Amino acid sequence: MPVKTIAGTLGSTIVGLCRETGGMTVLLWRVLRALVPPTLDWRELLRNLHKMGNKSVPIVVLTAVFTGGIMVIQSGVFVRRFGATGLVGWGAGYAVFREVGPILIGLMFSGRVGANNTAELGTMTVTEQLDGLRALAIDPVRFLIVPRVVAMITMLFCLTVIGDLVAVIGAVVVAQALLGVSPWTFYWSMIEHLHPVDFTNGLIKALAFGFAIALSSCHFGITVRGGAVGVGRAVNNAVVAAAVSIFLLDFFLTYILR
Amino acid sequence: MTELVERVGAQALGMVEAARGLTNVLVRTLARTFRRRRGEPGEVLRQMFEVGNRSLVFIAVTLGFLGMVLVFQSSLQVSRITGDPSPIGPQFFKILVHEFGPTLTAQMLATRVGAGIAAEIGSMVVTEQVDALRMCGVDPIEYLVVPRFIACMVMTVALTIFAVVVAFFAGALTAKLSFGVNPATFINFAEAKVGDVLTGLTKCIAYGAAIPVVSGYCGLTAGRGSEGVGSATTRAVIGSSFTVIVLDFILSSVGYFVFQGGA
Repeated sequence: MPVKTIAGTLGSTIVGLCRETGGMTVLLWRVLRALVPPTLDWRELLRNLHKMGNKSVPIVVLTAVFTGGIMVIQSGVFVRRFGATGLVGWGAGYAVFREVGPILIGLMFSGRVGANNTAELGTMTVTEQLDGLRALAIDPVRFLIVPRVVAMITMLFCLTVIGDLVAVIGAVVVAQALLGVSPWTFYWSMIEHLHPVDFTNGLIKALAFGFAIALSSCHFGITVRGGAVGVGRAVNNAVVAAAVSIFLLDFFLTYILR
Repeated sequence: MTELVERVGAQALGMVEAARGLTNVLVRTLARTFRRRRGEPGEVLRQMFEVGNRSLVFIAVTLGFLGMVLVFQSSLQVSRITGDPSPIGPQFFKILVHEFGPTLTAQMLATRVGAGIAAEIGSMVVTEQVDALRMCGVDPIEYLVVPRFIACMVMTVALTIFAVVVAFFAGALTAKLSFGVNPATFINFAEAKVGDVLTGLTKCIAYGAAIPVVSGYCGLTAGRGSEGVGSATTRAVIGSSFTVIVLDFILSSVGYFVFQGGA
């Protein structure tokens, strides 16, 4: 009995995984097809850019300030032991630009925008608005999905740029307050040891994360079943899938872009 | 001008309202947790299974990859500066125990478990099951939030220990394969002091308490229809992830002053 249950659970997990991955691949293909002659609904795109970008600025800024501070606190131990005040800016900057910044901002973006998007598309699916669009001969992928995907990728990129800069400000403030490292030392440490490539690598990661978040949130949104309960479950699945893909992509991109 | 003042005021009022609601849920949850409970007997265990066992694969995948990335990045930097990446291991373990292990596990739980709690309770609110509970004289916080609160606190600690182990061994593997660091030198727990373990544990318990309270509040205040459930879930994810980051900042500063003898 237990062996059978384990085999059954494992099998259904694998089948489910394949179904979702396949669904996302098909969605990706349809989005790319719709983009080849770029026929975009500009009004819908602008609306999405505003809703996903501008309205996420406060949460991203707050997250980034705290992230910068946390990174400085973590390096505080080494600074005290080795007296290496000249390396604080480098350590915090490197960690924030390359790893922690894109990952944490991506996770917050997935929570705020991705989940919201899944909920919205899911509600439309449950109330048969997508079928309504199809009945009017409007392709839901072209009209609903493509503007959202483009908007999410663009906006996560912009928000990561803003977040990285704000995180540096947070780091400078905490370095002065907690470790007594002057902003000037911090600045020179960053200028001397960091390269533009550290910054751009993080931005490439942000583009990839934006892609993953957009695909998973749209896919789970348009495949909702089962009313309000289904919408809740879809949002849950979408954020989990986005988090897993963020960490997977981060790993591979780190290897590729040393 | 009037419009601006109005908007700022509306924001402020909303924040005060949310803070009041959250404090209310937190206080009532704590009060009901320490009083003698009369909930369903197996409920806490069922929630522990839901929070813990169901998150194992998710946590293993995300934190495993995180461990590899962190070791890869830091070894690359250290071998550029000193040419010898072998001292990474103990330092990596230390920072994993007091920072990345608890915080990222909690971030992952905030997305998975937080969204789950809000979706579940939100659906119950929308289908008027919570009103039915109230009508039967059952407190929804006692019946719904308290079991999740206890389960989440216990399971965050357990999952963090699991996550630290997974991430550390994934890191050891990366160090061996990419930089040829002997696992015997990498696996060295000497740098992790009592203070680090205590900081990590405090963080786990704080996150484990915060996630179900924030998500439970979001679920209980869900609006009508499937839109209400969707937006409650979204608010739960963002609220609990942000709470984790703020708590991390506060507890890291406190830990720095108490255990590392800062300032």
